[in-house]
Amino acid sequence: MAERAQKQLGGRWLGVALVILLLALVEAGVRAGAINAALVPPPTDVVRRIAEILISGDFIQPLGATLYLLFIAYIGASLLAIALGLLMGRFPAIYNLFEPLVELLRPLPKPALLPPLILFLGLGDLMKSVVVGLAVVFPVLINTIQGVRGVDPVLINTARTFGYGRLAVLRKVILPAALPLIFAGLRVSLALGLILVVIAEMLAGTGGLGYLILDMQRTFRVQNMYAWLAILAVLGYGLNAGFLALEHRIIHWAAARPE
Amino acid sequence: MQPSVAQALPDRALLTLRGVRKSFGAEGAGGTVALRDISLSVEEGEFLAVVGPSGCGKSTLLQIVAGLMMPSGGQVAVGDAPVTAPPDSMVYLFQQYTKSLFPWRTIIDNVAFAVEHRDGMSRGRARDHSRPFLDMVGLGDSADRYPWQLSGGMQQRVAIARALAAEPRILLMDEPFSSVDALTRLDLHNLILDLWTTRHFTVLLVTHDVDEAVYLADRVAVLSARPSVIATTFRTELPRPRDSIRTRELPRFLELRHTLLAMLLERPHDG
Repeated sequence: MAERAQKQLGGRWLGVALVILLLALVEAGVRAGAINAALVPPPTDVVRRIAEILISGDFIQPLGATLYLLFIAYIGASLLAIALGLLMGRFPAIYNLFEPLVELLRPLPKPALLPPLILFLGLGDLMKSVVVGLAVVFPVLINTIQGVRGVDPVLINTARTFGYGRLAVLRKVILPAALPLIFAGLRVSLALGLILVVIAEMLAGTGGLGYLILDMQRTFRVQNMYAWLAILAVLGYGLNAGFLALEHRIIHWAAARPE
Repeated sequence: MQPSVAQALPDRALLTLRGVRKSFGAEGAGGTVALRDISLSVEEGEFLAVVGPSGCGKSTLLQIVAGLMMPSGGQVAVGDAPVTAPPDSMVYLFQQYTKSLFPWRTIIDNVAFAVEHRDGMSRGRARDHSRPFLDMVGLGDSADRYPWQLSGGMQQRVAIARALAAEPRILLMDEPFSSVDALTRLDLHNLILDLWTTRHFTVLLVTHDVDEAVYLADRVAVLSARPSVIATTFRTELPRPRDSIRTRELPRFLELRHTLLAMLLERPHDG
């Protein structure tokens, strides 16, 4: 096991080396005049730009706007999806009531909903939260339903034989037992949420990372465009890493268990 | 030996089954009748084993007694109270310990699950209540481990501790020893007998293992093949305390074992 982990770690450093190598190639290409510097500035210049943005604190406001929008929509939609998923997974009547609506909305690419949403809700944060929420809600919902249905009946009967009522069974047995699948859905949704935040900001933004990236491109500040893009990439990476750490804390038992 | 048909229900019965039947699907039209007409009574403090061939509906019967499943006809009662939902006085011990323990809870919290939902119980008080029960099954040292870190026999001990922590009057056991190895099984038999002797609860055990039924029980009821009825019941009349080796060498033990096995093997489709 340890040996395998070590090998994986070695593989990872190799991957990091590849990224650095690619950046060095671009750098050399630009310096040699083989790549148009107006389209691709030298990576070292972009790194300097990133450092300036970080030191000046200019990143705080747009990063805050993006994160705020993401978290409001993500947390709200996730809680809604988990609650509805528990009910739909547990009660066939509720499942039958919502299933057609879910199956109609779920496969629809959510950016396609931006035009009608803008029509109804304007260009503000509400519209953006709704479209992000719509992207977040379905993976969590579907996984919660599956998680609930996969709970072994023996676990449920165990709780019933100790006198647990319906609601207590839901809270103390079904929810924790479904958590590994719920978390899998939450992870997919986090990535989807970030994508939708950026799209919404580009289409209807006055701030946030998505808006800035597009704005820099339109005003030919290419170095800044790449700098913000890199910051967005790091944000995505950081969110995923943070999520994995949280997941490991909450459902450590699911990973440690054999099978 | 006098096989006696247990249709007469004594007055001091703690648990009574009257004409319990269970069918799945539409009766007569493609449905199956699992239990035809089960009448049985268990006295306070008694250890009753029900043996039957595989698929005779033993688990179905026990789940009906536990209030986990409704019968299609007939009635189960604890004292005078009919069972319509899982009563506080009974706990069901499942065969599949790996599925009945909560993998997200430590051992002590698995045991505490038995009582922590009760009025006036906090998680802390439930744990305090649970510790002695964990000690009783010899797992006091494993309180903070997780179920999947224990062997099968230890996991079933946890399930036993949890069942006893609820302090039931009646313990329902659904082949609780069938998925552990043979030596562990003998260990668990004696553990259950010790606990039964010291804590004075009533046991209804279903099993396909004739040896186990005769070794443990005061009385053994034989279930016929599906659709099941109680074929006969026997008093074991073996001395207690029982001993894993010596009890099994007694002529009475061998005689009972012979009779029961003959019934189960030679007439599996009778009934």
